[in-house]
Amino acid sequence: MNQTLVNFFKKYDYSFFLPMYAIFFLGILNLYSATHAHTSEVMQDLYKSQLMWFGVANIIALVVSLLPPKTLFQMSYWAYAINVFLLILVLVMGQKGMGAQRWLVIGGFRLQPSELMKISLAFALARYFVKNNPEKELNLKQLIVPFLITIIPTILIVMQPDLGTGLLLILIFLVVAFFKRLKWKSIGILILIGLVSGSVMYKYGLKEYQRKRILTFIDPQADAKGSGYNAIQSQIAIGSGRIFGKGFKKSSQASLNFLPENHTDFVFSIFNEEHGFFGSIILIAFYIILLLRFIWLSGAVLRFYDSVLAIGIMSIFFWHTFINMCMVMGLMPVVGLPLPLMSYGGSSLLTFGICIGVATSLSNSRNLF
Amino acid sequence: MFGDEELIKIHRERATAVANIIIFCFMIVLVRLWYLQIYNGEKYHEYSVQNRLRKEIVRAPRGMMYSRNDVLLVDNIPRFDAVLTRQFLQKKERTLKRLAEILDMDLETIKKIIKKNSYQAKYRPIIIKKNISLEEVAKIETENASLPGIFVDTFISREYVDEEVGAHLLGYISEISQDKLPTYQTRDELDYSLGDFIGQFGIEEIMDRSLRGENGYEFVEVDALGRKKKYINTDNLFKGIEDKSPKPGNNLKLTIDRDMQKAAYEALEGRSGSVVAINVETGELLTMISTPAFRPSEFSKGLTQEYWSSLINNEDKPLGDRSIQNHFSPGSTFKPFTAIAALEEDIIDPSTKIRCHGVFRFGGRNYRSWKRYGTEKVDITDALKHSCNIFFYKVATELDIDDLAKYAKMFGFGKKTGIQLPREVSGLIPTKEWKLKRNGIEWQKGETLSCSIGQSYVLVSTLQLANAYAAIATKGKLYKPYVVKEVFDNQGKIIKKFEPELVRQIELKPSTWESVRTGLYKVVNEPNGTAWWRRGLGNMMAGKTGTSQVVRAQSEEQLYSKCSEMDYKYRHHGVFVAFAPFDNPKIAVAALVEHGCGGSSAAAPVVEKVVNTYMKKYLPEKHEKLVRKDKESLARFYRKRRQEQEEKLRQQEAEEEDGSEG
Repeated sequence: MNQTLVNFFKKYDYSFFLPMYAIFFLGILNLYSATHAHTSEVMQDLYKSQLMWFGVANIIALVVSLLPPKTLFQMSYWAYAINVFLLILVLVMGQKGMGAQRWLVIGGFRLQPSELMKISLAFALARYFVKNNPEKELNLKQLIVPFLITIIPTILIVMQPDLGTGLLLILIFLVVAFFKRLKWKSIGILILIGLVSGSVMYKYGLKEYQRKRILTFIDPQADAKGSGYNAIQSQIAIGSGRIFGKGFKKSSQASLNFLPENHTDFVFSIFNEEHGFFGSIILIAFYIILLLRFIWLSGAVLRFYDSVLAIGIMSIFFWHTFINMCMVMGLMPVVGLPLPLMSYGGSSLLTFGICIGVATSLSNSRNLF
Repeated sequence: MFGDEELIKIHRERATAVANIIIFCFMIVLVRLWYLQIYNGEKYHEYSVQNRLRKEIVRAPRGMMYSRNDVLLVDNIPRFDAVLTRQFLQKKERTLKRLAEILDMDLETIKKIIKKNSYQAKYRPIIIKKNISLEEVAKIETENASLPGIFVDTFISREYVDEEVGAHLLGYISEISQDKLPTYQTRDELDYSLGDFIGQFGIEEIMDRSLRGENGYEFVEVDALGRKKKYINTDNLFKGIEDKSPKPGNNLKLTIDRDMQKAAYEALEGRSGSVVAINVETGELLTMISTPAFRPSEFSKGLTQEYWSSLINNEDKPLGDRSIQNHFSPGSTFKPFTAIAALEEDIIDPSTKIRCHGVFRFGGRNYRSWKRYGTEKVDITDALKHSCNIFFYKVATELDIDDLAKYAKMFGFGKKTGIQLPREVSGLIPTKEWKLKRNGIEWQKGETLSCSIGQSYVLVSTLQLANAYAAIATKGKLYKPYVVKEVFDNQGKIIKKFEPELVRQIELKPSTWESVRTGLYKVVNEPNGTAWWRRGLGNMMAGKTGTSQVVRAQSEEQLYSKCSEMDYKYRHHGVFVAFAPFDNPKIAVAALVEHGCGGSSAAAPVVEKVVNTYMKKYLPEKHEKLVRKDKESLARFYRKRRQEQEEKLRQQEAEEEDGSEG
């Protein structure tokens, strides 16, 4: 008994947990630095609750990592269906916060189903692609059903309204479809459709503030809420870090509350201000290591389902990281996506914890179960 | 059929492609970082160190309030603060010393203020002295070369034209404190910032959204001496950032009449109480006064510690609104509603007469009339006129408390009126069910007796009283009282208009209306009526006096001891409610004078002043005529009394003569 336990921990794959710890370590230092000088005590104590949430995320990751991939496979559609149902529930009876309806209160707990939907979608897509002609290259016609699987929760989330997360689902779908050998010709057509439907959507489908964000990005002059100013202050913060940064707790731009959401969306600016170009290379290296570890896993597993799932989960990480970085550097409009393991927020920590757990489970299945 | 292994193999190519794309994406990120941090690093560093570009909030002017006759009641006036910005402070000792001289402050105090705010960013101005005089402003401005880092900040303070008059109604605003900021932000889902003001009381609180407007902002660049200049686009980085001008708050037109407000306040000044006057045809509030009051402008200027503690430590609680946030036993002013219940439930009819003698025994207890007099038999109108308790006790022995409650509730008692003001109390009209639930004890018949004269559990607010009497005045039209008439923007465009809202039409027998209204008329307009001596001239009021017991009378002695000789806190509250003019009622007025003893002596003069102001202003011709009539009837009264006295004298003389003869 004891022997098997030792054996278990010997064979257990820590290669996903380690980069997670590395990034979170930088993240918590950064969060402390961003909030320690804040005038309100609630803000000063944010890092404590972030630590608490990380603890919870770890436990959940560990539990998930112990589930055999076969179980994950079997519950794929169920998870998806329940999650879609929860999204509908949010629209019907969800709690409002900051003008959008995102929360569901269940017995004192606040649940954000749109966060979980990213993972559920990865599960559902993996299951679908594995069961339907897995060997064939994809064309547009075969893309219809998985697209429907994606667009239903997307629409529900956009209605909340949470445009950022909605778009993220489509991006996850695209990565998985690309991996599942979508024909190059189809990719070309998709890009065309995307451009056309994007402009139509912009014209008719967006809420006023969402349109403003995009407008602000394209043309700061159109700004009415001053978010162009935030983008500029963020760039000043990043730029002022120069090569080695101003040093830990030395951020002036951010600590002086020039940046409004410096503990959530704009953590990367503060990190850059304090640790400069050099620090960013280290942070980005950790992210790349983690992402490549996912991709490597997709080629090393025993079942095709595991392979697709690994790519899907990877894409959640990737898009969050990339989009957040681009938006604080002024390369994309501010859509409000957190930087994985760096931004403050319980639900996003839990989401990424689950991702790490799933990946570890897939990896463990090769030699543990 | 492909096995899993083959499947994974044929997808490896795409996996590699994905990896390459990801690496490419991060290359973009690094290139951008290189551009920001290395290529432009120095420039941005300079910007961040100097905080040169700044976004400053331009606060929206708050909306103003006008009376029903468009007289300005609440205004905004610019005031000045002396502030210090540490970033630009030089020659600290010398500068602060000079500043202390100008502001007539202690050097140590100034240093303490700076120290207290030292956690703030250096560029943030620290307020050294609030609300400085124009002289001080001039000194700071002329000496600004020798006072580096010292500036004058303008802020808009709220001015309430009549200060204490109607303070509770208009309310006040105060600055949102640091720790309350998140609470308000989540409550209102509005992005308040530090330095914003928010309505905390009265109309300022309830109509805050309409009044507050929307802040704007402007971009300023600050030079090395801390002087602001308008930001001029020269740099690519800030290309196209534009200012946003603030959107001023909307103005309010109230239903309030300023002259009546002042008359009411003057009549009450120095005592604790409240007055409410209502337009009986619409439910518009004409007057609403609560005393003692506070000076609302102090709150927006920034309260001094002394003023605040003087408010908090005052036993008369000036911060409480006695017109709607306070309830009391209505005393005899409740009798008309008992009368209505009795008449409608056929316990009595308009001609029923009952002897009004001194003590009424019921269930082993003595119920007393408020005055030890009278052996005559009276009908309902005279019972109201003399405020005869025994009459109502007798009626109450046959009246079911739930029936009484039914009629009282018809007139709006026991429930919030729903006026556009915060924290209104609902008062209380007891029922059997209520008592059982509250105390677990069955209703006692004796309690109906006390309730019938407005004591015991019955509780009302001044506003409810005025509104209920308004319904008597209009023979059953109960309106929802309101105080904001119109919301309009600075161009005068009406954004929202509030219309009269009829809550219900109370249907009673015509004879019931007739009896009750006649009774109320007699109270004021017939000699021996409880308010006859307080009717003034040219008012033609119909009303009812009342005494609200603060403590239950324990002994005969206490009951009949003179109220004015009792300890202040044991004295009864005086209540008076009336509507006028009787033949074509326009307003209903209720007044409560706490510990004022009699309703007639304390509260009736207050109501009379308010009614009189109304009559003179809105019905001058009728008023003139009524004054003449009142003078004539007064003359008649005195003539008659003189004749009676002379008659008596003659009789006495005659008797004496008889005696001497015998």
